[in-house]
Amino acid sequence: MKREYIRSVLNVFARSPFKPLYLHASKGVETVRKLDQAVNAYCTNMPLVEELSHEIDNIEHEADIIKQTIRGQLSSSIMLPVNAEDLLNFLKPQDSIADVAQEAAYMLTLRQCDMPEGIKDQICQLSAETLKTVEIYETLVDSLSELLETSFSKRDVDEALSLVPQIEEMEHITDLIEKDLIKDIYAHEKELGAVGVFYLIELVRTIADIADKTEHAADRLRTMIIRR
Amino acid sequence: MIDLFNPIVVLLVIAGLYMAWNIGANDLANAMGTSVGSGALSIKQVILVAGVFEFVGAVFFGKKVTSTIAKGIVPIDSIKLLDPNLVAVGMLAAILAAGFWITFATFYNLPVSTTHSIVGSVLGFGLVSAYQGIIAYGDINWVVLAKIVGSWLVSPILGAVLAYIIFTIIRLTLLQKTDNPYNIEKKFVILQIGTACFIAFAHGSNDVANAVGPLYAGLNALGLADLTIPIWVLMVGGVGMVIGLATWGYRVIETIGTKITELTPTRGFSAELATASVVVLHSYSSLPISTTHTLVGSVIGVGLAGGLAAVDLSVIGKIAMSWIITVPIAAVTSALIFLALRGVGL
Repeated sequence: MKREYIRSVLNVFARSPFKPLYLHASKGVETVRKLDQAVNAYCTNMPLVEELSHEIDNIEHEADIIKQTIRGQLSSSIMLPVNAEDLLNFLKPQDSIADVAQEAAYMLTLRQCDMPEGIKDQICQLSAETLKTVEIYETLVDSLSELLETSFSKRDVDEALSLVPQIEEMEHITDLIEKDLIKDIYAHEKELGAVGVFYLIELVRTIADIADKTEHAADRLRTMIIRR
Repeated sequence: MIDLFNPIVVLLVIAGLYMAWNIGANDLANAMGTSVGSGALSIKQVILVAGVFEFVGAVFFGKKVTSTIAKGIVPIDSIKLLDPNLVAVGMLAAILAAGFWITFATFYNLPVSTTHSIVGSVLGFGLVSAYQGIIAYGDINWVVLAKIVGSWLVSPILGAVLAYIIFTIIRLTLLQKTDNPYNIEKKFVILQIGTACFIAFAHGSNDVANAVGPLYAGLNALGLADLTIPIWVLMVGGVGMVIGLATWGYRVIETIGTKITELTPTRGFSAELATASVVVLHSYSSLPISTTHTLVGSVIGVGLAGGLAAVDLSVIGKIAMSWIITVPIAAVTSALIFLALRGVGL
């Protein structure tokens, strides 16, 4: 430590975890955006898929570092305007968004495209709806800064929390697409083959899992805001 | 007035200036840093505002606390009847002991208060006088000492409660009623210039005593100052503190200002108004307290009211620790320096 001739007790101000929280959320959204590009490039541009998967790996790693920093800074002596445990409980599912997107992108690099056009279109649709879900989620996390500014005015809390049902609705939509897709995949089991069916179902379930994790994180965020 | 060039007087003035420099460089800078942190004032403006109001507070409102430090704890009047020189040497020892401890603490970045140091070292002089049979242990004004120590506990808590109330009012009546909280913050920038002046004034009125209390006691014993504190003594303190701020304090302010960007004008205003009110109240009650510790209490109060993104409460333990160690260390050092000065024939 550099010895400056300074005697200050103002280290009572701790680093805010909320800015890195938003940064962490936006990293998650970035991975899903790249995943969506990769899903669309699948079948037509495999080198691009490889490249995007690699980029997602890097972003996910950055998100992990942010997550570790937030956790490292929240020692028991830090007082936050929300319950610190609730904050950590919501950080965890938020972190899974990037994890699952990374897994889905990696799966795309494992196997050459081999499916009917209809299924491919539906997967693209699933991916697009997933991206919309996480984008609403990003707005929700961003509204935290306004909440802190007014120190949780009722109006701002209501406004922020109104985004949560929207995310839940979007998650429901992706669920429906997922169910249809799995039915469709089984309907084509003869032409796809056992490995083909297995692969596609894994892929679809993984992509759909992103919206699940997002909904879970939004739910935890709501708990954090309400219980503060 | 020939005695003004008495070596003890010269040493007392130099030691007093050194204490004042330290107070200006660190404590005043801490109090003013919150205004820079929230962007209300630039560093140059802060130094100007602090210089003027600190000086005014010290010169026109610093008498009561100075008098407590000088004669409230140790009965210097009965010691000076025996030998005026004893008081002068004792006060020189006290101010040197406090100066050494503050220098050490600042070097190691310990959250030590100049107020606690000077009270401890004046007490040390009282104890060594009693040990040598100059006064009785019962002659030390333990009641005043208990009041002072009690106020050290009460003042940060009072700061926290007041800041909590002020920020809660702002939050409920303004921040939560508006569409655009950033507009409110802009308006509070102006109000915060007022609280910055107030906190500098408050600081001057209380902390000048830490530098000039012993100086006045020494001068009084030697017959160079009568019952009222000469204005030039308070001015020595005021000038010393302003020089401390201008020559070193600006660096401290810069460091603090960059660290506490979380403190928006409404939060800064709440913490400063609470701190300054508590400090002025204590100056009025003749009680020497730590402005910085009160400020920490006020910041925690704003945090408790939900105004801050993150507050590190581990500071409380560090402050409590500094209370416990400062008084005995300053007292023992002061007593030892007194004996040494007597030993060399002063």
